[in-house]
Amino acid sequence: MKMPGGDKILDCIQCGVCAGSCHARFAMDYSPMQILKMVHLGLRREVLSSSTIWICASCYTCASRCPRSLDIPAIMSGLKNVAMRTNVPAPVALKPIFHRQFTEIIGRYGRMHEPELKMRLMKKTNPFEILQNASFGVRMFRKGKVRLRPSRIGSSTHFSEIFRNASNEERRR
Amino acid sequence: MRYAFFPGCSLHASAKECAMSANAVSKCLGIELVEIPEWNCCGSIDAVYAYNPFLSVSLSARNLAIAEKMGMDIVTLCSACFFTLSRASNILRENAEIKKRVAEVINDAGLKFEGGVKVRHYLDVLSNDVGVEEISRQVKVPLGGLRVAPYYGCLVVRPKVIQRFDDPEHPTSMDSVIEALGAEAVYYPDKTRCCGASLVITDESVMMEMAKGLLVTAKNMQADCLATLCPMCHLNLDAKQRDIESHFGVRFGLPVLYLTQLIGVAFGLDPKELGLNRNLVSPMKLLQKTKCG
Repeated sequence: MKMPGGDKILDCIQCGVCAGSCHARFAMDYSPMQILKMVHLGLRREVLSSSTIWICASCYTCASRCPRSLDIPAIMSGLKNVAMRTNVPAPVALKPIFHRQFTEIIGRYGRMHEPELKMRLMKKTNPFEILQNASFGVRMFRKGKVRLRPSRIGSSTHFSEIFRNASNEERRR
Repeated sequence: MRYAFFPGCSLHASAKECAMSANAVSKCLGIELVEIPEWNCCGSIDAVYAYNPFLSVSLSARNLAIAEKMGMDIVTLCSACFFTLSRASNILRENAEIKKRVAEVINDAGLKFEGGVKVRHYLDVLSNDVGVEEISRQVKVPLGGLRVAPYYGCLVVRPKVIQRFDDPEHPTSMDSVIEALGAEAVYYPDKTRCCGASLVITDESVMMEMAKGLLVTAKNMQADCLATLCPMCHLNLDAKQRDIESHFGVRFGLPVLYLTQLIGVAFGLDPKELGLNRNLVSPMKLLQKTKCG
């Protein structure tokens, strides 16, 4: 699917409002403004391997202030999408795995099952983290915040067909 | 006042207390929340959207179409669901090609997206459909002397695709609700700063840095507690608070309540019914201060 909003990227006037507004800038290698300029310049590899596109938390501070009405978080999502499809390694290996596993779990149950997502991610990257996270897990469990069995939707709801058709539809293009 | 209620995944799992308190408070205010039957995950902001945007829009379209069948506007409490459903609705209304492709996917299930229902946030319903006068009329235990930092977070007021009901930079609707309960809404300059959201799963240290800032500001403003709307914000600020404290070697001990829990306390509802025993930073001392614990 062509991302709505991506075509506006050339409207950027490099005013820097996004860079000054970003709450997660401290954890990024390039500011959002720099990323937009780098896209203009065709610095494909640098953009797709930057931490910026993965750190963006979609908080929309930049976009709601942008004088050119660029949907910057959607552009970051689009760049993530290209990075994943072209197998450009992310600076934090967990990131693309997160998106894939999240989607897979939704396909399976129709709803998110938080403990399963966390376990899948830890298994893929750092199994020792399971121990490091144990005390948090216990605290959550004692408060009844860990749902052992997933909440799922009924099989008569056509959810699986919709999920499968939508996934295939996109792949066909 | 009847709405198609979209709880979202968190409200069925780690954030049950958000749903419990919303249901309890809604009863007092004459709001009927009819859960959308067999709803599915919205796709959570860009978790699915970045992986497969068409799938993300289709997932939301299914929910929107079921609500359309019900003939009611959608109401949700989770900021992520609010934004994701709103974005999909917007894309479908503005982009005929995507709408056509989505129709091909959902029509077999007997579903149709016409664009007839609005996606609204619960705070919007409280402020504009119910009104603060009605809320203050229901108060049984005024929260006098309680200093509350109103935390709106990112997606309830900011993005352009949502049904905006407040100022994106300086929202005041939650402040008014808090004041209607007899409490004091303190000046809280971080009210729309990001809590780090899903970075809690993939970049915990980045999330902690962001959430720490919010807690420091609330402490500096001498708030007794934070009020939040979104289960993601609540996870990062309440459930993760102890980890943030040990990571930075600081101590906050700041209770974080869902706005709906706070309203329930002022309405004199049973703390158990509001799920207050499920909060990780115990709000019980705070409740004693309000003489209702």
